[in-house]
Amino acid sequence: MKGLAAIVQHSSSRGALSALLFTLACLGFFWLNGHQPVALFREMVLGAFGDGYALSETLVKATPILFCALAVALPARLGLISVGGDGQLYFGALTGTAVILALGDLSAPVMLPLMLLGAAAGGALWGALAGALRARIEVNETISTLLLNYIAVLLVDYAVHGPWKDQSNLGWPATSPFPAGAILPTFFDTRVHLGLLLAVIAAVLLYIFASRSRWGLGLTLLRSNQRVGRGAGINYPLNVLLVMGIGGALAGLAGIAEASVIQGRLQGGLSAGYGISGFLVAWLAGQKFLLIIPLAVLMGGLQASADSLQLFAQMPSSSAVILQGILFAIVLAVGGRWRERMVP
Amino acid sequence: MSDLFSPEMLSFIAAALRSSTPVLLVVLGETLTQRVGVINLGVEGQMLVGAITGFAVTLASGSPTLGLLAGMFAATLLSAVHALLSLYFGANQIASGLAVLILGAGLSAFYGIPYVGEKISGFGSMAGVPLLGPLLGQLSVSVLIALLLTPLIGVWLYTTRTGLAWRAVGESTESARAMGINPLLIQWLGVLVGGLLSGLAGAALSVDYTSNWIENISSGRGLVAVGLVIVARWNPYLALPAALLYGGSEALYLRMQTWGVGVSPYLLSTLPYVIPLSVLVVTSGRLRQRGGGMPEGLKAVFKGS
Amino acid sequence: MKNLFITITAALLAALCGQAIAATKVGYIYVGPRNDFGYNYAQDQGRIYLEENLPGVATVSFENIPENADVERVMERMIRSGVTVLFPTSYGYLDNALKVASKYPEVTFMHSGGFKLAPNLGTYFAGIDEAMYLAGVTAGAASKTGKLGFLAAHPIPQVLRNINAFTRGAQRVNPAITTTVVWTGTWSDPAKESEAANSLIDSGADVITGHVDSPITYTRVAEKRGVFSVGYHADASKFAPEGWLVGAIWNWGPMMVNIVKSVEDGSWISGHIRGGLKTGDSILSAYGPSVSSETQDQVAALQAEILTGAFNIWQGPILAQDGSEKAATGAVLSGTGLEGMDFLVQGVVGQVK
Repeated sequence: MKGLAAIVQHSSSRGALSALLFTLACLGFFWLNGHQPVALFREMVLGAFGDGYALSETLVKATPILFCALAVALPARLGLISVGGDGQLYFGALTGTAVILALGDLSAPVMLPLMLLGAAAGGALWGALAGALRARIEVNETISTLLLNYIAVLLVDYAVHGPWKDQSNLGWPATSPFPAGAILPTFFDTRVHLGLLLAVIAAVLLYIFASRSRWGLGLTLLRSNQRVGRGAGINYPLNVLLVMGIGGALAGLAGIAEASVIQGRLQGGLSAGYGISGFLVAWLAGQKFLLIIPLAVLMGGLQASADSLQLFAQMPSSSAVILQGILFAIVLAVGGRWRERMVP
Repeated sequence: MSDLFSPEMLSFIAAALRSSTPVLLVVLGETLTQRVGVINLGVEGQMLVGAITGFAVTLASGSPTLGLLAGMFAATLLSAVHALLSLYFGANQIASGLAVLILGAGLSAFYGIPYVGEKISGFGSMAGVPLLGPLLGQLSVSVLIALLLTPLIGVWLYTTRTGLAWRAVGESTESARAMGINPLLIQWLGVLVGGLLSGLAGAALSVDYTSNWIENISSGRGLVAVGLVIVARWNPYLALPAALLYGGSEALYLRMQTWGVGVSPYLLSTLPYVIPLSVLVVTSGRLRQRGGGMPEGLKAVFKGS
Repeated sequence: MKNLFITITAALLAALCGQAIAATKVGYIYVGPRNDFGYNYAQDQGRIYLEENLPGVATVSFENIPENADVERVMERMIRSGVTVLFPTSYGYLDNALKVASKYPEVTFMHSGGFKLAPNLGTYFAGIDEAMYLAGVTAGAASKTGKLGFLAAHPIPQVLRNINAFTRGAQRVNPAITTTVVWTGTWSDPAKESEAANSLIDSGADVITGHVDSPITYTRVAEKRGVFSVGYHADASKFAPEGWLVGAIWNWGPMMVNIVKSVEDGSWISGHIRGGLKTGDSILSAYGPSVSSETQDQVAALQAEILTGAFNIWQGPILAQDGSEKAATGAVLSGTGLEGMDFLVQGVVGQVK
């Protein structure tokens, strides 16, 4: 173990070891289930990055994951553990849709900024709600964001089954299709959309502001020692609200982007577990904003490549879930603090 | 007084208890886990593994008792993954719990496929019990197990030497070590006991409560239970009222519809989440004066890297 | 170039499996698990029937694909792997299917229950409401309390249609009978379904039926509590050997075989295929032991009238809960009036929204 611990001192070797172990785990899992391991693994990789189409769909999948990962990583700067990505995503989609329904048919240059703002505001509200509870009355944010997830999903259900239901769609629980002005632009005849660009910009900005600015230093200080931070004149409650609010706003953008480009309307089942995937990515990246970008793409690729398992091997959809669990367990084991114990 | 024991009230109480039972069992287990300074969000996945194992063994053996035991065993095994990741490899506990959750959800769905649509026989009715028959007839064996375990765990935690040792570990591993306790061993036990009870909860759901297995049968009840541990302030005695907040509001909103209440069922179904959150908010003022009631060791998780 | 690639891949795959290349490759997409013992299970049974009864046909299926970013990608991937006939089996896939269909004019899409068409996209569905109506007649005859319980997932047209058909069937036997609806808000949550069934029974209902994914939980609860049950989606009679009355069940296989056959021989044209009791796409299960021969005769007579077209279950007058008239005496609800149903009939206790 000591030798191994020495090897994994460097983050690049940790990554390589994780990748190796995960590959072995995949091969073993396929073999156990009576499939040709190498051929199937190859199909998986091709399914994620094999051609332009596969890559574009990987990026489509990665976009909401990237947003949700940022919504986890920013609060983590203050030591807050938010699991509320999904709730903020749904609530942002709800308020963004409210803006669209209120404004109706506007041209894209007017509609898109307002719609994005509306969604960001909603996500921010949902995040800041948990932030306020934490800052003012010390309600644990992990628990409040968890409960708020369920509530936001049900609120969207309520809206699309009730007041917002499209009367011309045979009673299907969804809003009317969004007007053309409310559809985010896509690139190169694929489904890759403006949301990806916004998410990458957000990641870079967060890196600059949270790592390089006075504000970022203040967060680090507050996190390591609230008393010292407060002594230095940094307002803790305000910063809790800020990180939760900004994080929520980003998840909210993911929500409206999915509704706008992918579904073209608001309906239930908006998120394919993006909140939890985002959480995993944030953790895999050690909450580092720039590292989150490639890892979100890898996670998106893993999820999109799971198609190959159903397509070529007729394996049930749960096999992809198992592989994700294995991947996460491996990365956590490799990246854990055990090596500090081994190599003093 | 007569209203309190009317058949309607009795059936509502029974419904609330039935709905609460799987959640209560997880809250009890997770309370013990968190009391030794470890949080485990993986209980949701452990419930699922407990549910499918319990169902499969009941089907094979014809014995629901054996089913419950097997479910407990399987979930305990899965919880060992959480202990290994967080206690041995030193991974973040929230993240490790989510890994276990995903693993449990995937494994149970994968291996559960042949069991959908199979018929098992759960425990018999308890309606024949004298005096309490009218109430017991509406309950099931797992409800009674959960109701009995609640005070037992409370008494054990607060009055026995081992209970004291567990609480000491949760407050400070250093001072526990000074008392001659092996904190790592007790933390492992805390996670495994939490796994055991989450497995019982899952098996209670599939074998006893619904006699049915379907993918994702727990539907988030395990995660909610982790939240309810905080509502119950890490106190096993308060686990029952906390679980009743969830189970009671679930039973209530389903019943309200049979009364013809004119509110959207979607808004009504937020009650099982809104009510615990509200209680958390309302009681937080008093909690704060006592440092939140959170075991000191757990605070390190939320402050840690 | 792309076609060449696909051909080579298909050939390699076929060689890998040691099979000849199938004449037609048919793809299925399900919104939930294919073994849910409910809606998706019924569709998947159709797929299996198709594979067994039409030589040379191979199928591939995707489960657990909700109406989000995954749908279109899965359709594209299936097509790129050689699928030429696609069954997107959830109503919510309609817009996605239309989008992908316009991109691949050589692929035939058969969407379940939609109301839009494209040159290469048609729709199929079967009314199961007639079977539910007959089940309602059985329930009305069996009920002593005059209260029926209906456990439902979401207030969408298909569900409302079944509640109304069931209630109207029961009202035929007992005009004063009521159906109480409890919405669970989810297609599958056995614990909630168990409690919903209990609450219905506690409120006096003595026949329980439902429209959630799987009929297992509520038939079990009904049996345990000693009341009757009417199944839906799949035959759950083994779970209620005493209280089982009857069930309304899908039978998609023959319709799917006909569709794929017509694609293969080139006779397929885009349109709305609608089956039902008449065509055998939905059927009534076997009766439970407590259904009297009198009731069975009554149902058989009604069924015969439905099959000959002498009787339509949506014959007016049809009044909604609030008393508004949805079909006048002599008029018949049909088409989008049925497939877009957005009301509950008089005699139903429950919320539409």
